[in-house]
Amino acid sequence: MAINQEVLDEMLLPYPDKVKKNRTKHIVRKNPEEGCQQIEANTRTVPGIISQRGCCYAGCKGVVIGPIKDMITITHGPVGCAYYSWGTRRNKARADDITPPEHIYGAMCFVTDMQEPDIVFGGEKKLAKMIDEVVEMFHPRAINVCATCPIGLIGDDLGAVTKKASEKHGIPVLAYNCEGYKGVSQSAGHHIANNVLMENVIGSGDAEKNPSEFVVNLLGEYNIGGDSWEIERILNDIGYRVQGVLTGDSSVEEMKNMHIANLNLVMCHRSINYIAEMMEEKYGIPWLKINFIGVEAIKKSLRDIAQVTGDETFIRKTEEVIAREEARVLPVIEHFRKICTGKTAFAFVGGSRSHHYQYLLRDLGMEVVVAGYEFAHRDDYEGRQVIPTIKTDADSKNIPELDIKPDPELYKEAHEHLNITKEKFDEICSRVPLGNYEGMYPDMNGGTLMIDDCNHYEAEQLVKDLKPDLFFAGVRDKYIAQKMGVPAKQLHSYDYSGPYAGFNGAMNFARDVANAMTTPAWKFITPPWEKESENTGDTNA
Amino acid sequence: MSEQTPSVREVNENQCQICMPLGSVIAIKGIEHSMVVVHGSQGCSTYMRLAMVEHYNEPVDIASSSLNEKQTIYGGEENLRKGLDNVIRVYHPKVIGVVTTCMTETMGEDIGRMIDTYLTDRNLHDVDIIPVSTPSYSGTSTEGYWTAVRDIIRYYGNPSPPHEGINIILPQVSPADIREIKRILDLMRIQYTLIPDISMTLDRPYGILYEKIPPGGTSREDITRMSGARATIQFGYCCPDNLSPGAFLEEKFGVPLHNLPLPVGLKNMDRFINTLISIAVKPVSESILLERGWLCDAMADAHKHMAEIRPVIYGEPELVYAISSLCVENGSIPPIIATGTGSPQFHRHLESLIRDLDFVPLVAEHVDFALIAKESDHLGVNLAIGHTGGKVLTERQNIPVVRTGFPIHDRIGAQRIRNLGYIGTVTLLEQIVNTYLEHKYQHYRQRIKSEYFDNGGKINA
Repeated sequence: MAINQEVLDEMLLPYPDKVKKNRTKHIVRKNPEEGCQQIEANTRTVPGIISQRGCCYAGCKGVVIGPIKDMITITHGPVGCAYYSWGTRRNKARADDITPPEHIYGAMCFVTDMQEPDIVFGGEKKLAKMIDEVVEMFHPRAINVCATCPIGLIGDDLGAVTKKASEKHGIPVLAYNCEGYKGVSQSAGHHIANNVLMENVIGSGDAEKNPSEFVVNLLGEYNIGGDSWEIERILNDIGYRVQGVLTGDSSVEEMKNMHIANLNLVMCHRSINYIAEMMEEKYGIPWLKINFIGVEAIKKSLRDIAQVTGDETFIRKTEEVIAREEARVLPVIEHFRKICTGKTAFAFVGGSRSHHYQYLLRDLGMEVVVAGYEFAHRDDYEGRQVIPTIKTDADSKNIPELDIKPDPELYKEAHEHLNITKEKFDEICSRVPLGNYEGMYPDMNGGTLMIDDCNHYEAEQLVKDLKPDLFFAGVRDKYIAQKMGVPAKQLHSYDYSGPYAGFNGAMNFARDVANAMTTPAWKFITPPWEKESENTGDTNA
Repeated sequence: MSEQTPSVREVNENQCQICMPLGSVIAIKGIEHSMVVVHGSQGCSTYMRLAMVEHYNEPVDIASSSLNEKQTIYGGEENLRKGLDNVIRVYHPKVIGVVTTCMTETMGEDIGRMIDTYLTDRNLHDVDIIPVSTPSYSGTSTEGYWTAVRDIIRYYGNPSPPHEGINIILPQVSPADIREIKRILDLMRIQYTLIPDISMTLDRPYGILYEKIPPGGTSREDITRMSGARATIQFGYCCPDNLSPGAFLEEKFGVPLHNLPLPVGLKNMDRFINTLISIAVKPVSESILLERGWLCDAMADAHKHMAEIRPVIYGEPELVYAISSLCVENGSIPPIIATGTGSPQFHRHLESLIRDLDFVPLVAEHVDFALIAKESDHLGVNLAIGHTGGKVLTERQNIPVVRTGFPIHDRIGAQRIRNLGYIGTVTLLEQIVNTYLEHKYQHYRQRIKSEYFDNGGKINA
């Protein structure tokens, strides 16, 4: 389905000129003739236009740090931010041999609940006392302290308080200066969280690698509704061992030893590419962009991983698992595919899902006609080749870039990590996109729309004009679509469903999507007395 | 009365309160053709939208001035002005509430002055921009709510000719609750101005044309006429005097204030009807009498179960007080009555409610759920009544929760929960009893068997 220019012109019409100019740069109608078209992204939100973006704190605490199950995360600030980020992303966690139930704090919420005197006289003492109490009550293995807006303004020195607490209690107490006003979106918070974990956690363990294992880390997977459990199931079936997940169902114990992996797998590129890159620089561990959303995407990802190992056993086992799983799930998906084929969808989600889910929708015969990210950067749209051309602005400069040097003892060349020869590695690189991400653009059809930081108003206009069959977004914009009679599905937290990743997830998703479109409720909205064509009575009686 | 919660702990673990600007936003959403601009980082408006959308299951548009690091140094006025420009261009509101956040309050932003300058510079006469100061370190959503209602009424507070109507000022209740209050007033043939009216704005029915600003809400004209009303009924029994909108109208314009508890439960509802009769000098409507009769009937049905129920009641003070009153009048003594905020009024009224009970409940202000959970264990609580936060009690202690109040994020229909009036009370009362019964009979046979046979008849009373 191609979208014509009038729809866009009409949408931009009410904006003042400056806003119109600004927003136009964030909207790209794909023209396959043009090569890769440039889109503006990761720049400031226009005030007063209702963006779906969150803040730096949301990206740091809400996305990356929050799911770590055995760390207590204290929000330092007044009561709101902690409340709003409490359990909203449905990151699931479970107890296991490494993390007993008493060390799981994921469902809890801790806040210093600052009051006026704390703002006036500073909140450092209160924070320090709270850390002491938390240690006394829960004996956590490690603690995170996340800053909210007022902290930076009143100048509380989180670093000093946490350092002292760390020495006093003999556990890591980590400070995240993720005040909400930093950067332009959640993205800044991801970066800050990545930096702190890289500097303080990853590589701090002393586990030795078992040479007979092929070990992977799963980066940028947050176990929403159980996604990472399904992905781990598949990886384990093939014979890989998953050392650490960032950060769904993760524990600090596992994260410490993530440096022993042979390969990093990157699910959400936006939120975690920093760690993937830093681990490559520090340890030489190569990374591979994967996508476990959609049967075809999973197959490609699994085959890529197997190719990278260069190991015939993994390559064979991969095909066995794919064949076994496909035999089980394809008939189910085929059933729902009949319902979904030919339908259109919008996808406005964070920084990866709007791309990932296009594969799954394609499995179901659906086309994404408008897609956009809330807080992605240009590389998430256009591919990593544009990174050198992205100008650093004042907002990005405020987020520190760590100066990572190769670890004198642990650094090895990528091919050594993979236990293959340099020649073999180079040959694999020509087939498998190691260390690369092509972005969303190549997967969009001609005439469809990519729209960055699509705001509430624009989403409403587009739904009104283009009437998609399904609307995928977050809970905040979900109801505008529903009010206009378009079924909406939440792709941040899956509307209490899931998992959607992996083979089982694809079945769940197909079922949920088909149900959303076929529910009889939509048909009854117009009352019979307003339906002209409907026969209201039996005239022959 | 028991001691107030000792506040020696610094830890707020699983909080029972939400931040101040949120309450203001909800109140402003009850004004006709209104929009809200949150002056602060955009995360605040996004988070508040999340909390409201999940509760009301409605689109909720809250704009932000989207401050970045630069504005923390140079001030946020320019962003606020841009934000107002854009909101006016896209939404065409008649009223804009500008609420502050902990960020802009810490920066010391003078939004009153900024708005004045903006209106003068833009020469705007057809849009009212109302500043509301909500530093979230100075209160909770309850205080934020009352602050906004008071500031809105004050904004339109000019003398107006006396008239027959009365003012109804509501705390944060559901859209369905507001519709129930209106229905009762209509049955009594009483003219009224009800504020803030979220009955349509946060619960718009399907089928009407989708507009960016939903229809409904209290109109500017009606608010202006509040100063000439015959009386004010405010369900702000626990509202601190300095935030009380009704007290403002009384002091400034001499409108007599009847500050009542929320009409949940027979006693509180009788008091409301009685006050209406005395103000309007009108007989009570026949159908309201029937409804009262149905409630009395339901109370008779409920009484044999209610005495077994030992509920913890928590949440926003007005609702907590009213539900406590409902439980007490039905013979159920709540071991714990708790709120994440507090006020001298809340304390005083509860004290007189529980003074003569068989055992004295723990009344806890400024609590978190860690304390509620601990005391629930200790005091043998077997039911919880309040918002979604209480789910931790179910997960950890197998205490079922009757969900009411704000926020409810883990069930549908929060916007349609109706607990006010005689009929609303019937619904709530039945839900309390039935939730308890379902829980009781899950293990009833096994419990009796073990008590009478395995335990040799030693019953744990």
